Amino acid sequence: MKYLYSLLFVGLFVSSCGDEFLNPTPQSSVVASDFFSSDAELLSGVFAMYDALQGVNENTQTNIMDFNRGIQFEYLVTEMRSDNSRSQTDEGSKADFHRYIVNANNVEVEDYYASMYEIIFRSNVVMSFIDVADPENVDQYTGEARFMRAYAYFNLIRLFGDVPLITENINPGDDAAFIRVDTDIIYDQIVSDLTEAVSFLADGGAKSRASKGAAQALLAKVYLSMPSPNYSQAQSLCESVMASMEYSLLSNFNDIFYNELNDELIFVVEFLPANADESQSFSSEFNFLTGRQDGLNIPEANLRNALTLNGGNRTETSFIMSTNGEFECAKYFPDGFGPEDDYGPNSRNAGNDWIVMRYADVLLMHAEAILAGAPSTTASNALESVNMVRSRAEVDDITGTLTAQDLLLERRVELAFENHRFFDLQRFGSLSSVIAAYAAEEGFDFNVNQLTLPIPAREINLSRGLMSQNPGY
Amino acid sequence: MKNNILKISNLAFLFCALLLTTGCDFDFPLPEANSIDDLQLPVADFTESQDPVDFRTYQFQNLSSESLNYEWDFGTGETSSDENPLYRFEAGEGTYTVTLVSSDANGESDRITRDIVVIEPEAPDAIIPRIMEASFEDGQLEGGSGDGRDSWRNNSLGGVIQITSSPVFDGDQASKYPREGDRIAYQELEITPNTDYRFDFVYTLKTDAPGSITFDVLAGGGYSSVSGAEVLGSFTGTDQDDSGTYTEASVRFNTGNNNMISIYVHNEGEEARLDAITIEVEE
Repeated sequence: MKYLYSLLFVGLFVSSCGDEFLNPTPQSSVVASDFFSSDAELLSGVFAMYDALQGVNENTQTNIMDFNRGIQFEYLVTEMRSDNSRSQTDEGSKADFHRYIVNANNVEVEDYYASMYEIIFRSNVVMSFIDVADPENVDQYTGEARFMRAYAYFNLIRLFGDVPLITENINPGDDAAFIRVDTDIIYDQIVSDLTEAVSFLADGGAKSRASKGAAQALLAKVYLSMPSPNYSQAQSLCESVMASMEYSLLSNFNDIFYNELNDELIFVVEFLPANADESQSFSSEFNFLTGRQDGLNIPEANLRNALTLNGGNRTETSFIMSTNGEFECAKYFPDGFGPEDDYGPNSRNAGNDWIVMRYADVLLMHAEAILAGAPSTTASNALESVNMVRSRAEVDDITGTLTAQDLLLERRVELAFENHRFFDLQRFGSLSSVIAAYAAEEGFDFNVNQLTLPIPAREINLSRGLMSQNPGY
Repeated sequence: MKNNILKISNLAFLFCALLLTTGCDFDFPLPEANSIDDLQLPVADFTESQDPVDFRTYQFQNLSSESLNYEWDFGTGETSSDENPLYRFEAGEGTYTVTLVSSDANGESDRITRDIVVIEPEAPDAIIPRIMEASFEDGQLEGGSGDGRDSWRNNSLGGVIQITSSPVFDGDQASKYPREGDRIAYQELEITPNTDYRFDFVYTLKTDAPGSITFDVLAGGGYSSVSGAEVLGSFTGTDQDDSGTYTEASVRFNTGNNNMISIYVHNEGEEARLDAITIEVEE
C-alpha cells in the first residue's frame, strides 16, 4: 500500500511536468518571444525603431562607451568630414573627424555603426512578429520597418562600404554579423525594401514616422546614389512627391528650423525639450558655450564664403558670429535660443527636431535626376525646380544652362549643417578632389582612405577573423 | 698596502673589461634564432576615379596591403611616391599605362599595371525625331508609297484625317478636319527625355461658324483614349480672319521623364486645315 502511494506521488509529478513548468515565462523581465503578442505591443516595437534613431542624449547618459546616440552623432561622421565644418579644439575623438585622422577605435564611429544596426535589429523584430498586428495595420507596420531598415543600410554603406547584411533575427555569435556583403547586394536589398515601403505606406501621418512621401524621397536618393544610377526612376519618384501636394516650400527659410513639423518637412526625428529621455545634445554642441566641448560643427571659412556669395537670405539662418567673436551654425539653436539668450534654459536638453528630409532636397534631386550624370543641362524642368529653391532664398534664377557644379553649390548653401554635404560630394563624384583641396588649404594630412570610415575594431576583434578592415586603417 | 690592493683591483677590473670587450667579438647567430620570415608579402592594387569636372584628372586610391612605400608611374614619364596621388593627364584623351609598385621595409615588392583610358565624356545630342508625312504629301513613305495620311491614323481616337489640295501651305497637300470634329491626326515620336523642343506648323479655319483647331503634345504613346493623358504642350488656334491664308503657330514643351511623345490634332466647330509640321530642339 505504501508502495502504491509513492507511485501515485511520482505519477502526480510526472503529469505536472508540462512545457510551462520547464520553460516558465519570466515574471520579472520582458523577453521578445513572449512580449509581442498584441497589436499594441507590436506598435511599441515600431516606435522602438524610431527610438534607436533618436538616440540617447549624451548629457543623460554621460558614459563615453557607445550608448546608441543614433542621429545625435551623425554630424560627426558626415558634416564634420566634409569641407563644411570642424571642431573648435583638437582634443578628444570628436576632433579627429575634421582632421581626417579617425582610427578604428573611434568611439563615435563605433556608436554610429551600432546605432544603425540597432535600427536594423528592431526593424527585423517588427517584421518577424508582424502576424500579431491587426490586419488593417500590417501594411503600415511592414512599410515602416522596411523603410527604417533601408534607411539604416543606406547610411552604413555610404559611410563604411561593404557591411554585414542582416535581414532576419540572428543570435549572438552568428557568423552573419561579421560577413561583409558587397554594397551592390545591399543596394538591391535597400531598393526592394523601399519599393515595398512606397507601396505599403500612405501619404500624410506623423512626420516622425515613415510615410509614402518619405519612402519615395529616400528611394529617389538611393537611385541617384547607386553605382549605376537609375535617373529615370529617381525623376518619377521626385515627381510623385511633387505631385502629391503633401509638401511645399515655406516662404520663410528660418521657419523650417524653428517652426517644428512644418509643411516643408518630409521625415524628422522628434525631440522634446527639458526631457532627459527625449531631448538631444547636438544643439548645445554647435555653440562655444553650452556644449560638452568648445564647439563642434563650427563653419569653415570655405562654407561661410559659399553662403555669403550664394546663400541669399539663407546665410543669416545658416551661420552667425557668436558672442565670443567666432562663427557658429545658426540652424539648430537650442529651442530657438541664440547667443544673446545664452542659448536658453535647456540647451543641453534641447527639443529641436532633426530634419532628415525636406521638400527643397526633393526639388534639387529632381534637377539632379534630369541632369542624369551629365556636366550640364538646358532642360527647362530642371531649371524650374532649382529656381523654386533659389527664389525662396531671394537669389537670381539660373537661366540657360544648369551645370552639375551649380547644383552641388546650390545643395551646399541650401542644406548646410543638415548632414548632406558629404553624401552630395560622394554622389557627384567630387568627394576626393574637393576634400583633398580643402585639406591642403587647412593643412590637414589627408589620405583618401579616410573617406571611408573604419569598421569598428571591436567588430573585427569579435569576428574570429571573418571581418577585414577597410584599406588604410 | 691599501694602495696596492686598490691597484690590483684596478688591474683586475681592467682585465675583466678587456675580457668582456674581446668577448664581444664572437659572432653568434642569436638575433635570428627566434625570428620568423615575413610571409605577408606586399600585394599591389589600386582603383581610380575620374574627376567629374576635369576629365583629365584622376584620383588614384591605393588598395595595396602589407606595404609601406609606393611608386607610381603614370605612363607619361611622370611618377609619384604618394600613397594616393591625384594626377592630371595633361595631354588629355588617350590610353595611359599606369604602374604601381608597392613595397615593404624588407624590400619585398609587388607590381600592378593597368591601362587607363582617358576620354572626355560627351553630352549626347538630343534626338531630332523625323515626323512621318509631316506635310501630308503623297509618296513620302518607303518605296514612294503613302497617301499623306498613313502615318497619322489612330482609329480609337477618331477617324482618319482628310487630305486637301486647296488651300495648302507647301507642296500639293495639307490635312483637313471636317466641321464635325470626328477626325484626328495622331503620330508617336521617339524623343530625348528632359529636353525642350518646339513644334512649328501652320493652320487655317473656315469662317462660317466659330471653331478652333488644337495641337496637343501628349506624354508617352500607345493611346487608345486621351482622357487623363498628360499634356506636355498644347496650342489652340482660333484665327478665323481668312480661310485662304495659313497662320503660323508653335508649341513649346519639355519632354519630361519620357522617351516618347504623341502628336494629337483635333478640331471643333468649323472645318480646319493644318500643314508643314517641323520639330526643333530649343536652345
